[in-house]
Amino acid sequence: MARDLDLVRGDRLHCLELIDWVDGARRHIVGPLGLKIGRTPPADVVLADSEVSRSHCLVALDGDDLVVSDLGSTNGTYVDGVRIEGMVPLPIGSILQIGKRSFQHECRTRAEVTESDELDRELQKASAYIHALLPPPSHDGPIRCDWILVPCARLGGDAFGYGHLGDDLFVTYLIDVAGHGVGAAMLAVAVMSQLRQRTLPDTDMRSPAAVLATINRLYQMEEQADLYFTMWYGVYDARSRQLRYAAAGHHATFLVPPDRSRTIAAGNRNVIIGAMPGATFQEETVDVPTGSSMYVFSDGVFEIIDKGGRQWSIADFERLILEPQIDGMDETQRLFHSVRDAAAPGPLDDDFSLVVAQFD
Amino acid sequence: MQFTDVGGVTKAVLGGRLDSLSVGEVETRFIANIVPKEQPAVIDLSQVSFIASLGIRMLLGTARALGRHGSKLALFGATGPVMEIIETTAITDIIPVVSSEAEALALVTA
Repeated sequence: MARDLDLVRGDRLHCLELIDWVDGARRHIVGPLGLKIGRTPPADVVLADSEVSRSHCLVALDGDDLVVSDLGSTNGTYVDGVRIEGMVPLPIGSILQIGKRSFQHECRTRAEVTESDELDRELQKASAYIHALLPPPSHDGPIRCDWILVPCARLGGDAFGYGHLGDDLFVTYLIDVAGHGVGAAMLAVAVMSQLRQRTLPDTDMRSPAAVLATINRLYQMEEQADLYFTMWYGVYDARSRQLRYAAAGHHATFLVPPDRSRTIAAGNRNVIIGAMPGATFQEETVDVPTGSSMYVFSDGVFEIIDKGGRQWSIADFERLILEPQIDGMDETQRLFHSVRDAAAPGPLDDDFSLVVAQFD
Repeated sequence: MQFTDVGGVTKAVLGGRLDSLSVGEVETRFIANIVPKEQPAVIDLSQVSFIASLGIRMLLGTARALGRHGSKLALFGATGPVMEIIETTAITDIIPVVSSEAEALALVTA
């Protein structure tokens, strides 16, 4: 106990908590010797990130406060978006950015740390469950798919899926529940499970409009803790090379022909799911040029504030899509890192979900 | 966030970014200043720079709660980026969205 008291402001511990935490240790307690952060041991916190120097920065106690010093790193250390020089304070709540990783400075009691660690473990299990329901990437065959899902909280409200509906039909869908956290995740999982198992009652799964109408009937807001969601559902017919699609309150999906000179928007206007009982839904069809890529995504992919303080719109993400692809890097990773690099420091405001399908 | 009474219609002025964080901070006060009055309401969105899905949910929830009392809600003054989000979600099928306060007042009192 006496040692604990040495570490803290009153009975509280100074913690650095990883934002965008996926696995491994999320929380690092700053002790009397401080924490050295770098790319390789003997750093106390090792970040496997090429933008992090071997010995990058040192976070240390200064009385009741925390301070951070850059240790001559190549790419710099940032506090709330500002590159630091010398030793600077790291106030509670501030964001410490090192390479692609960001930490938030929090002060917690030992009991809070224990409780929070337990909750993190439970949320990690729930997150693993959701990921287990998502389809595996497919890198072979006439339609190849990859995806990325980075929730902004431990659990997000996004879900998606894809797969064959028959020999020639291939379905792709994405659900984006308003908000995030446990409630949104549970609703997303419920809808995703029904779509995966194709258990929608009396519904032609080949018809996007019919699928959205049934989902809307089954998931009205007042029966779902006032949660609504947006959704895009598309069915590609390999024989006709046509994509049949419908969007419910959701922005367009983009098709990109192989010369990558333009996007073809596959979107139409239907009301969000859950807000209007008896709503009717319209679907449309678009030709898919040979060799096209298809980008299906949630609004968290483009609703960011960039480093210049500008609010992005879908047009900004469309521009990113058309930028040159990178050899050896999957499109989902290229776009995630492009958005992450453009965004202001700190966690993304919303879940980042992106499915990229490549058609022969 | 400001609230006034315009001839028996509640007028609310929202501003800034209606992102997940700010909606969490204002939602209770927003609803508490509109719904219990059981009278029509108009919302000025002209100073809102961004609206996230939870902001849309707040507006929908308010419209539905007012509707249960037989009162209407209308939105006005949405700027380009906010209007783009409103159009994408198609909530205009549920809540009228017009350009001016006068149009909004006329709609909810008709």
